[in-house]
Amino acid sequence: MRPSLTYQGIPIWRHSRLLGWAAQIVSAIVVVALVAFFLINLTNAMEERDIPRGWSFLSREYSTPISETFIPYEESDSFAYAFLVAGLNTLVVSLIGVSLATVLGVVIGASQLSSNWIVSRIATVYVESFRNVPLLVQLFFWYIVLLGLPQVKDSYVLLKAIYLNNSGLSLPFPVAQGTAWIWILCAAAAIAAGLVVKRLMEQREVRVGRPSYPILSAFTVSIVIGAAAWLALGDSPFNIDLPHAEGFFGRLQGGVTLSSELTALLVGLVIYTASFIAEIVRGGLRSVSRGQTESARALGLNAMATLRSVTFPQALRVIVPPMISQYLNLTKNSSLALAIGYADLTSVAKTMTQTAPAVSIFLIIMGIYLLFSLAYSLIGNLYNRHIQFTGG
Amino acid sequence: MSAAEVRRPAPPLPPPITETGWIGWAKANLFNNWLSSLLTIVVTPLVILGLWFLIRWLFTADWTLITSRPQQYVIGLYPTEHAWRPLTGWLLVSLLWGMGAGIWRGGSAYRVTIAYGLFSLVVGLLPYGLFHPDVVMPWWVRLFILVNLPVLAAGFGLGCNRITGRAGWFVLGGLAAYLLFLLLLSGLPGVPGMEQVSPRQWGGLMLNLTLALFGIVLSFPIGMLLALGRRSGLPVAKLLCVGFIEIFRGVPLITLLFVSQVLVPLALPEDFPVNPVTRAAITITLFSAAYMAENIRGGLQGLPRGQGEAAQALGLAGWQVTSLILLPQAIRNVIPAIVGQFISLFKDTSLVYIIGMLDILEMGRSIVQGNVEFIDNGRELFLFVAVVFWMFTYTMSYISRRIESHLGVGVR
Amino acid sequence: MTTQDETHSPTADDIIVCNDVHKWYGSFHALRGVSTSVRRGEVVVIIGPSGSGKSTFIRTINRLEQHQRGQIVVDGLELSNDVRNIDAVRREVGMVFQSFNLFPHLTVMRNITLAPNKVRRTPLAEAEAAAMELLERVGIPEQADKYPGELSGGQQQRVAIARALAMQPKIMLFDEPTSALDPEMIKEVLEVMRELAASNMTILAVTHELGFAREAADRIVMFDEGQIVEDQPPDDFFNNPRHERVVRFLSQIL
Repeated sequence: MRPSLTYQGIPIWRHSRLLGWAAQIVSAIVVVALVAFFLINLTNAMEERDIPRGWSFLSREYSTPISETFIPYEESDSFAYAFLVAGLNTLVVSLIGVSLATVLGVVIGASQLSSNWIVSRIATVYVESFRNVPLLVQLFFWYIVLLGLPQVKDSYVLLKAIYLNNSGLSLPFPVAQGTAWIWILCAAAAIAAGLVVKRLMEQREVRVGRPSYPILSAFTVSIVIGAAAWLALGDSPFNIDLPHAEGFFGRLQGGVTLSSELTALLVGLVIYTASFIAEIVRGGLRSVSRGQTESARALGLNAMATLRSVTFPQALRVIVPPMISQYLNLTKNSSLALAIGYADLTSVAKTMTQTAPAVSIFLIIMGIYLLFSLAYSLIGNLYNRHIQFTGG
Repeated sequence: MSAAEVRRPAPPLPPPITETGWIGWAKANLFNNWLSSLLTIVVTPLVILGLWFLIRWLFTADWTLITSRPQQYVIGLYPTEHAWRPLTGWLLVSLLWGMGAGIWRGGSAYRVTIAYGLFSLVVGLLPYGLFHPDVVMPWWVRLFILVNLPVLAAGFGLGCNRITGRAGWFVLGGLAAYLLFLLLLSGLPGVPGMEQVSPRQWGGLMLNLTLALFGIVLSFPIGMLLALGRRSGLPVAKLLCVGFIEIFRGVPLITLLFVSQVLVPLALPEDFPVNPVTRAAITITLFSAAYMAENIRGGLQGLPRGQGEAAQALGLAGWQVTSLILLPQAIRNVIPAIVGQFISLFKDTSLVYIIGMLDILEMGRSIVQGNVEFIDNGRELFLFVAVVFWMFTYTMSYISRRIESHLGVGVR
Repeated sequence: MTTQDETHSPTADDIIVCNDVHKWYGSFHALRGVSTSVRRGEVVVIIGPSGSGKSTFIRTINRLEQHQRGQIVVDGLELSNDVRNIDAVRREVGMVFQSFNLFPHLTVMRNITLAPNKVRRTPLAEAEAAAMELLERVGIPEQADKYPGELSGGQQQRVAIARALAMQPKIMLFDEPTSALDPEMIKEVLEVMRELAASNMTILAVTHELGFAREAADRIVMFDEGQIVEDQPPDDFFNNPRHERVVRFLSQIL
């Protein structure tokens, strides 16, 4: 008979799996108990003080003005719609801020590695000063700088199209005419065609070995199709609406005006976030070893081709994940809009708590911010998977 | 050439003049190619112009809103007659600082310490009365500040001592000093001279530093536990940790501060003794801990598998493998990220204005808003506050870089 | 040295001519007046103690390092700040590094076809066929679709050689190609280099593999303190060294 090597009857206090489960159950019970304790307290307190609860407020009239909106809003609109308006305000800041911060950050990050001493010094000073000072201080600073600008009638004017004054920044804006949607469809088709052409030309370049100018041909195709559609429609589908001064006080009419609050918020967020992105870009470019560029140059690739085929693809792997988390930080930091009075999600929510149940409102805005996080993480993960497939 | 001819090694020559000195330097750093030369020519005048405007503004600006009430920026509305209490706290910091410099001797430690000593000296000797005859720094305040220098030296002596100069004593001393400091600030009922001062009256830079230290000291261990929980094989623990981390990282700190102000008081029993400052401190700490956890997790993930296996093979218990082998290495590898998190925690303390605390920024704003004569001096205020924050954050990142290069982190 | 005078007066047969080349790193004088020339099809092995300037010298020939005084002419083109000449020279000169420097984000095949495709504008199909031939020549055709990280050091170095050969260079530079390899792998790389040397390619190789030098080299050049101290065919180099420094060096590494 074979001796049984399985230990029977391990004492309970020595069984590793049981111990693990016991620890988990205990911790779960503690957490659940704590949460229940808070919730019970909360419900009791709310009942005692007659604090409103529930979700019915969502369909009620918000009846409070929102200072700046990107879709039409009236005070008679509901709380739910006000959430949408405020969420859009945050989304606009996030998208514009992310694009501008990326451009500025990449330029500064690359400048930090410049062989030119002055340029790299300036970039380093930029990074060290802006990333080490609280964003809130910077926002206040930009806000009063903007408020200190001349009045509307003495605006700084650029090209007779861009006006900057103490009530904000006015820019030209296209106004859709009746045929606009047809043209938008055509333009989308044109861009798609351009992308296809770029792909084809890139493949041809690799296949044939002769330069095929993929980007140039893609642009040409897109613009030709877009312009043809524009002309074919007869009426121009968009009018470019220029801001212009009118009347005795020189009030600005037309175009689109970003309030001082929004402008200060964007300037602050972009300058602050760019200093972090610059560090990420610098680290990414530096992570590509010297040997890589040397061997590319030794093979006869010129500086541009080395950057495009060897340095960038490798640097991007290092750059993209932390970059995504900076995008997320920018979005969350846009809640500091509250301090200078731009109507973003957080500041509208704060106002709402005066007339509606706070618990529900906090749950909603937390949900919306988590949605933002999820969206950005999703983009990041998709990208990660994309580069994983194209090689390790 | 015949075999008899033996070559004598050529002596090294000095490099040509165009390769050294300032000409060589300019050739290599300012005019190394045509693009670089163009940039140099375009950018230099712009920089000079910018600096000229900045310097001119610095000298024409009106700094009265700062020089006329320096005390408020440092301790907020803390009662003047009790100023000796925060000042004693400063002495404790000096003692520890000196001790740290004595323990981790070296060029950069000395540099930072000398800068700190000079800073104390300058603050102690500032001639306030020169600009504002009515603003007088009491002699005993000056004395307190100047005593920092001998205390710094004493701390250095402690640090150099073989018995007291241990990192363990430094950490213990730090914790004790921090608790003592909190006690000093809030006061002890019944003890003469130690009347209670409500945290509502704590303010200025002191408040920012107190909150930041609280957060740094607590968020690190909490973050470590969260990171370990997230990596553990226990599904329930993992779920709880992931949930906590993702919720706190997904929401702006400002929103969390609101919740701590509006909802948390309701969720606690009515007589629960938590004041707004503590609530803010806990919120900031938990927020920071979630980020800390992700940093530490990154460090743990970067470790080669062999490390844990080797430790297990040596017979170390599970907790020993983690605490003696894995965590020290993981933390070492992510020191830059951790210090970065400390820095952003310190910057985040400026958000407590949300709950009506008068930190250095909000104190300054209330001075501007409360005095008509300062209504146009916002720029001066924000620049001043920015410089104060910058001094601290830059020192932190400088120390982090020194530790990094000392440990050889990031060197492959 | 019998060739001394000829090397100073370049003939049509010389593909590399260096005349009084100096190089400083800051105030450190790394190359102190190097003059030599290399004929078409010649195999020159460069040895010397570390820090003697041998790697610096080989890197000046495709201008990865810039010399500051003197003249370097490669295949009739002088290396100066003229970007066109630099690019032209780099197309004609292949280089193999100690640390391989393969592009980790590209497959072996793409590593080899990248430069022919982008620089020589060879159609991809053609470039791939040529790459396949080269991979067969270095003995690893089956690795074409792998990434460099999946190969052993010796295989990586053989890919690096194939990559350099894909540009059909007239000259190959080897900068300590075997120093980062295990003995087993050194053999397979030297095999490829030997075969290359026999194929009438002009080769400059910095290496400590004296066996390879004795067998394959036409000349062995020894560097010390930034200058050439010995320049002889292998037999004379080993059996009849003229310079006391050579004897000392050989006794150290043998």
